[in-house]
Amino acid sequence: MKKILIVDDDPNIIDYLTTLFEDNGYTTIAAHDVQEGLEIAKKEIPDLITLDLEMPEEWGPRFYRKMSQEKSLKNIPVIVISGLSGGDHAVGKAVAFLSKPFDRDELLKIVKETLNV
Amino acid sequence: MSEDIIIIDKDVSHAKALCVYLERKRMESHVAASSEEALMLFDNVGAKLVLADPGLPDTDMISLLTGIKSTHPQVQIIIMTPPDHFDLTMAEIKHAAVHYLLKPVKSTALDMALYQARSWISLNHRLAATERKLQKLRQTQNLYQQLFDEVPCYISVQDNQFRLTATNKMFKRDFGDEIGSHCYSVYKHRGTVCQACPVADTFADGYSHSTEEVVTSKSGKQYNVLTWTAPIRNGDGEITQVMEMSTNITEIRQLQDHLTSLGLMIGSMSHGVKGMLTALDGGIYQLETGMAKNDKERTQKAFEQVKQMTGRIRKMVLEILYYAKSRELRYESTNIVEMADKVVSDAMAIADKNGVKLEANISPTLGIIDVDPTWMQAALVNFVENAIDACTYDRSKKGHIVTFDAFELSDDRICFIITDNGMGMDQETKEKMFTLFFTSKGSQGTGLGLFIANRVIRQHGGTITVESELKKGTKFHICLPKSKPAQSGMVHIPETLETTVNNETDDEK
Repeated sequence: MKKILIVDDDPNIIDYLTTLFEDNGYTTIAAHDVQEGLEIAKKEIPDLITLDLEMPEEWGPRFYRKMSQEKSLKNIPVIVISGLSGGDHAVGKAVAFLSKPFDRDELLKIVKETLNV
Repeated sequence: MSEDIIIIDKDVSHAKALCVYLERKRMESHVAASSEEALMLFDNVGAKLVLADPGLPDTDMISLLTGIKSTHPQVQIIIMTPPDHFDLTMAEIKHAAVHYLLKPVKSTALDMALYQARSWISLNHRLAATERKLQKLRQTQNLYQQLFDEVPCYISVQDNQFRLTATNKMFKRDFGDEIGSHCYSVYKHRGTVCQACPVADTFADGYSHSTEEVVTSKSGKQYNVLTWTAPIRNGDGEITQVMEMSTNITEIRQLQDHLTSLGLMIGSMSHGVKGMLTALDGGIYQLETGMAKNDKERTQKAFEQVKQMTGRIRKMVLEILYYAKSRELRYESTNIVEMADKVVSDAMAIADKNGVKLEANISPTLGIIDVDPTWMQAALVNFVENAIDACTYDRSKKGHIVTFDAFELSDDRICFIITDNGMGMDQETKEKMFTLFFTSKGSQGTGLGLFIANRVIRQHGGTITVESELKKGTKFHICLPKSKPAQSGMVHIPETLETTVNNETDDEK
């Protein structure tokens, strides 16, 4: 079963994404901030990461930069899910950018396509 | 054009002789032998000169002549009279005549009399013209004084020591009648000359200068003014005084500030709104799938989430409305125990959800106080929820607890103390926490909550003090008067970002 790491500071949104992904046959792990996200990612090596951009302390792009420097993590696809407009430039190599509130069918479609490659 | 003269004389031959003489002097004579004829002539000819023998002892003519003089003061009357009537005639006619001649009239004496009468006429004429000019001048002066007074600006005229030599009505209204005082002391309540002064610049170069200033009225109100200066020169072209005209643009500036902060607010808020909508989507998704799967636990949880999100969106909309519109407090006698209980029960759901213990200790004898219940409750909820958030975000320890105490401080004041053992605040956060749009919660916060809570407490005449230590926790003291303070009511709509910073926060550690 494919494993998705959700990085978002809003527990309600983590809850939402967790339920959504698990209902569709994925396993999930969640992190509330950049630091926690990196630790879990290194330990669990997920197949896909969804990343919020605006979080307290460190922001999403910092997470992306740090994970790109890790050999074990740098090839994991990232989907940015953020309320920031124009955030698609912040993480240039993201496979997709979804703006909040997002269309869940679109998200599931992107996840499916990304993980089936 | 020849000059008309009316000759009144019963002695027809004498009159004719006069006519002949006067015609040679290019004058047109009209002769009357009786007072009736004289009156008729006077009405028809419109002559300025009358040469008359009143013909005493008959007094008709005397009254005719004095009558004419009083209704037509510009007409000059020369009296001719036989020597035996001379004194009597003079006594009767007095100043109504310009000159008295003895009959038979001698040409040199007549010429002299005519010359004098003409001088009077032209003198009177010039006097009337001057009078008209003066009148006009007075009107103009009046008009300018009115303009000076009624211009909707503050106008002052200053000498080179910046002393006020003249001020208009609006200036006097807002800054007092301060002729002789220094501009800088009246406008800015300072003891020395201002650094950049447009009046000084105009004295130096003779040009008009403009600045924008903040001035303080006699009642202590601050105004933003746009100031223009203009030189006033004397006859030699030297600048003796400078006029300063200041337009009050406070409202425009405030509106600008307000618009700027509204713009900022919408910007800062859009992210929070998006987060909430996403969470609401999540709640709805879980509600749908929960019902479809007949998963009671999921449905229940989803329902709670939808409820919570709706509450948060409601709160945010209310905050936006509060900010967008200045509102008068609606004071009501409020049972403060009931309100405090409500605050605690409102916050309890969020505390439970985040595993934070919420303990309330509300003195049951608090009784009734005067507040705006809607906003006071919203403000208190804000402080409590903020304390819960400070715990939720603090992942460094377990066993978080928020306490909410309400008690009577004195006969006329009550006090709330809200403590948490959450993440605490650093110096910067402490200084900025009441600032509009400041948030330490990332996408979760709008930066409106504490800003408004602070404003509501202050509008009620209350005080807030804060003790906080990073990683240890925070303690808010909120004290409120039990009855409506004398000077309460509206907080002026536009509030600049700077003025909302609270300064009482850093003296306690």
